[in-house]
Amino acid sequence: MASESTLMASTRAEWIKFRTVRSSVMGVAVTVLLTVGLGVLITTLVRTHWTQLSPLRVATFDPVSSSLRGSLFAQFAVGVIGTLFITSEYTSGSIRTTLTAVPNRVRLIASKCIVLFITTLILGEFVCFAAFLIGQRIYLGVVPTASITNGTVLRSVVLAGLYLTLLALFAFALGLILRQSAAAISVFVSLLLIVPIIGFFFPQNWQNDFMRFEPSSLGVSMESPFAPSNTFGAWSATFVLLAYVAAALMLAFVLFQRRDAGSNQ
Amino acid sequence: MIKVDHLTKRYSDTLAVDDLDFEVKPGVVTGFLGPNGSGKSTTMRIILGLDHATKGQATVNGTRYAELKDPLREVGALLDAKAVHPGRTARNHLRALAASNQIKRSRVDEVLEFVGISSVANKKVGTYSLGMSQRLGIAGALLGDPGILLFDEPVNGLDPEGIKWIREFFRALANEGRTVFVSSHLMSEMAVSADEIIVIGRGRFITSGSVNDLTKNAEGTVLARASDHDKLTSVVLSHHGVVHDTNDEGLTIGGLTSDEVGRLAFDAGITIYELTPQRASLEEVFMDLTAGAVEYGSQKRELTGG
Repeated sequence: MASESTLMASTRAEWIKFRTVRSSVMGVAVTVLLTVGLGVLITTLVRTHWTQLSPLRVATFDPVSSSLRGSLFAQFAVGVIGTLFITSEYTSGSIRTTLTAVPNRVRLIASKCIVLFITTLILGEFVCFAAFLIGQRIYLGVVPTASITNGTVLRSVVLAGLYLTLLALFAFALGLILRQSAAAISVFVSLLLIVPIIGFFFPQNWQNDFMRFEPSSLGVSMESPFAPSNTFGAWSATFVLLAYVAAALMLAFVLFQRRDAGSNQ
Repeated sequence: MIKVDHLTKRYSDTLAVDDLDFEVKPGVVTGFLGPNGSGKSTTMRIILGLDHATKGQATVNGTRYAELKDPLREVGALLDAKAVHPGRTARNHLRALAASNQIKRSRVDEVLEFVGISSVANKKVGTYSLGMSQRLGIAGALLGDPGILLFDEPVNGLDPEGIKWIREFFRALANEGRTVFVSSHLMSEMAVSADEIIVIGRGRFITSGSVNDLTKNAEGTVLARASDHDKLTSVVLSHHGVVHDTNDEGLTIGGLTSDEVGRLAFDAGITIYELTPQRASLEEVFMDLTAGAVEYGSQKRELTGG
């Protein structure tokens, strides 16, 4: 069908654009470095200090999420990838060239989302599987390990990768709404870091209700085989995050349709 | 063919384009002339579907731009040469554009060759001079071999050689039967590069026509050097003429032809040393036409000067 081939064409164009700028390549490198590198560092520290840990720590120890901790730092890197994928078009003015080539705005945003989703999903799953497998390897013989053949463990690793993907899309939506790299990245970082801090000032009984809706605790829920108390289960957390992403993308798209793209802001 | 149909664009409190109505025909170079801020770029952006019209519409080949399937194959445009990601190479920039409109990859090298930037095609666009960026923009506009081309202030930043090249290039495109629509705030540039001209000011249509017609209709003046300038002045004034200027070189007379001035001088017994009809230059025609339509006129200078 004709419309399918043009969505394919604009998606191919966006893929060329994605991989031909340094910011994407750097973002991917930093994501790998943070998830796998910090994973190695954390698991190595756990192994060397294992005998000195308190019995309580040992009893509640989770080899899965401890090996995936690096992804909670990598979320900022994928956020930058997602944001810059759209804001760089506005800061350079190339959005005008892009829109003259693909004036159908639905198709343009769909193409960008497809490229971002596929690349960050592959990236997210790759780094999370790598961090998990290397982490278990480091634990082997000293610290209890988990096996990927266990369904719950597999779910945690897969959802940890998906968490990074969804955050990249969320950051993309913020970028499309704000159209400025610095503003979008600041808001993204604030949501992940500042909101949890604000939560501490809430009364205790509100705190639990509030904090579990906050993105990074959704991430913790998604990548834990056993949900911590007062948080969502892994699947519920995934759906809440999906709802955030869908709402942000929807708002971004409505604004994108209405706004003029030609004039500088 | 480009058709602009009662186009109006309002940005919060300013009316950028006010009920514009015109057609741009194929086979000729059409100049789109107006002072800075007169709405030329806004009109072009609306034609390209980048900005939304408040009222009216613009179509290319009878279709709204946003509804074209592979727009680069029908319309090529250069609005802002710097509107390219600075970190991407020229070749990759064009490859992405080509991919989006299903244009074969070999075409990228063809257009790079044509505009003469093949040797720097693998360099990042951010390192380009404005002239090189203009050439890259032109390469992008030609990528889909379109029948309609729009250029917004294309000579800005070009060296004299580049300007000569681009004029011949417009002419060649028009001779191939394409629609060529070029905006400029410089009348002198349009006088040499365009066949037809559309003049706007403050977003409003002022006039259109061929370059020749526009100057023909403009009122000319007569420069007269004579034995008695005071007497000639009173004679001219008594015969419904106007004296624009008096200096050592003579009188600049309006409202009368050189024949009439000669006869009046003869009747009054004034010796004429020189009598030269002066055709209004295009620049003067343009100034007359857009007087009052300049957004930032010279009266501003007095305010800041004091």
